[in-house]
Amino acid sequence: MRDVAIIGVGMIPFGRRDQDSLIDMLAYASMKALDDAHLGDKAVDAVYVANMGGGILQHQTGIASALVDRLSLLPAAADLVENGPASGASAIKNGVQAIASGYSDVVLVAGGEKMREVTGWRATDFVATLTHPESEYPYGITLPGMAGMFTRLYMEQHGLTAEALVAVAIKNQEMGALNPYAHVEMMITKEGIFDSPHSVVNNPLVADPLRLYDACPVSDGAAAVLMCPLEMARELTEKQPVVVAGFGQATDTHTLQERDDPTDLKAVRLAAQQAFDRAKLKPSDVDVAELHDAFTVLEIAESEHVGFFGKGEGSKAALAGLTRFGGKIPINVSGGLKARGHPVGATGVAQVVEITWQLRHELPKERQVKNAKVGLTVNFGGFGNNVLAFVLRRAS
Amino acid sequence: MAIDMELEAVLRPPEAPQAPYPAKVITLANGKRMVVREVTRADVPKLLRVVHPTLFIDKDYYNVVGARLYSELLAWQYYRVQNEFCLVGQIDGILVGMVNSRMYTAETGMSLHTLAIDRGLRIGAHLFAAKMEHHIEFLGQKEVLIVAESPIGFRRWMTEYGLEPTTIPHELGGAPAYRLTRQLYFDSKPRLVVGDRPVPDELLAVAEQELIAADESMIREKIAGLKGR
Amino acid sequence: MSNLQITGYKCKHCGRIHYPRHEQCLQCHGREFESIAPEGNATLLAYTQIFNLPWGFDERFLIIGVAQFGNGIKSMGQIKAESLDQLHTGMQLRPVWEPVRYVYGEPVYGLKLEPMG
Repeated sequence: MRDVAIIGVGMIPFGRRDQDSLIDMLAYASMKALDDAHLGDKAVDAVYVANMGGGILQHQTGIASALVDRLSLLPAAADLVENGPASGASAIKNGVQAIASGYSDVVLVAGGEKMREVTGWRATDFVATLTHPESEYPYGITLPGMAGMFTRLYMEQHGLTAEALVAVAIKNQEMGALNPYAHVEMMITKEGIFDSPHSVVNNPLVADPLRLYDACPVSDGAAAVLMCPLEMARELTEKQPVVVAGFGQATDTHTLQERDDPTDLKAVRLAAQQAFDRAKLKPSDVDVAELHDAFTVLEIAESEHVGFFGKGEGSKAALAGLTRFGGKIPINVSGGLKARGHPVGATGVAQVVEITWQLRHELPKERQVKNAKVGLTVNFGGFGNNVLAFVLRRAS
Repeated sequence: MAIDMELEAVLRPPEAPQAPYPAKVITLANGKRMVVREVTRADVPKLLRVVHPTLFIDKDYYNVVGARLYSELLAWQYYRVQNEFCLVGQIDGILVGMVNSRMYTAETGMSLHTLAIDRGLRIGAHLFAAKMEHHIEFLGQKEVLIVAESPIGFRRWMTEYGLEPTTIPHELGGAPAYRLTRQLYFDSKPRLVVGDRPVPDELLAVAEQELIAADESMIREKIAGLKGR
Repeated sequence: MSNLQITGYKCKHCGRIHYPRHEQCLQCHGREFESIAPEGNATLLAYTQIFNLPWGFDERFLIIGVAQFGNGIKSMGQIKAESLDQLHTGMQLRPVWEPVRYVYGEPVYGLKLEPMG
């Protein structure tokens, strides 16, 4: 097995991008990744495209074929990877496996989603198609609804507080305001979303006990990474390589109701454990993490399940500022899904792009984690039924 | 051409007296304080400058709402409507949204338009709530007839307030109106209508001193969410 | 005989109850199941009130929860309550089979749960 290096990354600003088609966005991000690597004329062997909803939202299929043609990377192999909101990390995993196995040398992974072309009702319904078609979907359950049930249980059983959720929301929107790629630039205050009696309108319930500012926005966007064997990285590009030190992936029951303990995010726990084992690293080695905070509660729960904090300690850590920029373990310095946005197919790729920038030490100082050497990403599919984690390391 | 007041006396509909809307202040999600207050005809030219760019935003029905609002404000300025009121939201004096409406009869209000300049702070929700507050609490009306021209409006007004569907044609194009009753209003008030009165003198003074219109590109960017291009 | 159109699957090897259907037992990978119907009332395990509903629902909100029947079947259902103030985990709910949504005007039936006492 060969070690795999990330040699180019690209992202376009997330938000509402009415002017761009899905393929436009994927193409722009891909070109940025190719240019970032200064790849020259070395051919890309394979392209993996992460997208969840092109078939539903854009009535378009064959998206990987369309992208590889648009990029004129023919005759490179091209595949679409759909794994719900974890499509991005799944596509990268496929690329890593292709390179590690020796089947491919240079792989482009692009993830994108165009969700703002439909109304909020339609977008909510689209994401809800992840739920079980017989025993969940007909009831009108949504992903925020799943997260709401989970949050109540976490509050009842693991000491999670509304104040801790507010702390995560404020932190991530503060960081998003510093990220030119973030969908949400606006800062929020505890007074405005929690303390003031006016907060009842500013921050209404979305899925009790979760409120508006606990949830990520619905976004358009795309991101891309270019990878090759570590041994080829130095000859292909002058960029500082970032090594995919380990990945993990695990699944859990489709329905929340069949989990013995619904507050145990087993797939997160197992995916992170696998990734750390493969990387021969441990949670305390991580300098910066991008965790899948589609809802604020997930950042706290994942911070416990990946091993940064003990169960029930994540809330306290968030309140104590341990997960802030400059804290013990900075989480979602990009603003996370909460502020960068969550174009579902793009998210897992965007997380890896962000950590790559961190490990190359390329970010502006207001959000560059000093001397970062190891990063972690967690991309959460379904409601925790298909999760991937990557441990990335700055190549020596 | 000078206005012929003799002719105007014929053209202007008789005006119905209206109770004033007492200003209030709302703390927004970002901690900023938005003053909500009633404006007068004299303020209309400034409002039109703010509305004008929306006429050309072919997104979320801003052009439809903007064009209609523009004409309603203009008609109000030139005394071509029986009555109308307009409430504005201001942050540090900057105009961030407006709502207009009128009394169809003494008992029935006819909600016209809601335009929020800045998105993401629920300014539209606050201002729409202020409009309903004015109709029900200060004008003492029994009901307000409402239609939505955009999906966002429909979701916000019809669903959040649980409005009653009716077959009554609304002034805005004759679409069947939805109805906010006093009962529905007071049922919804605790979760939808907020604000503190009186507005501190210094805040009100800033708001009343000038209706500051942000420049056109800023308004377009903020309304249309053109970030990323 | 229950009128609830829910079929649970009890593993003949280890006894684990499944709903919805699996080809192999989640616990022991056994392949033989006894079909069982929900019995009795249900205990509320988790719940939420959802305000931003998907396309297809006109209500202002839905209250949805997961409940466990006396014989172990766990199912999601809509809860017939006006507010969460009436609910707490561990409470008893009476199951009924009623329309849970309408598609092109046609009712889709499913589990609804009524708070008891």
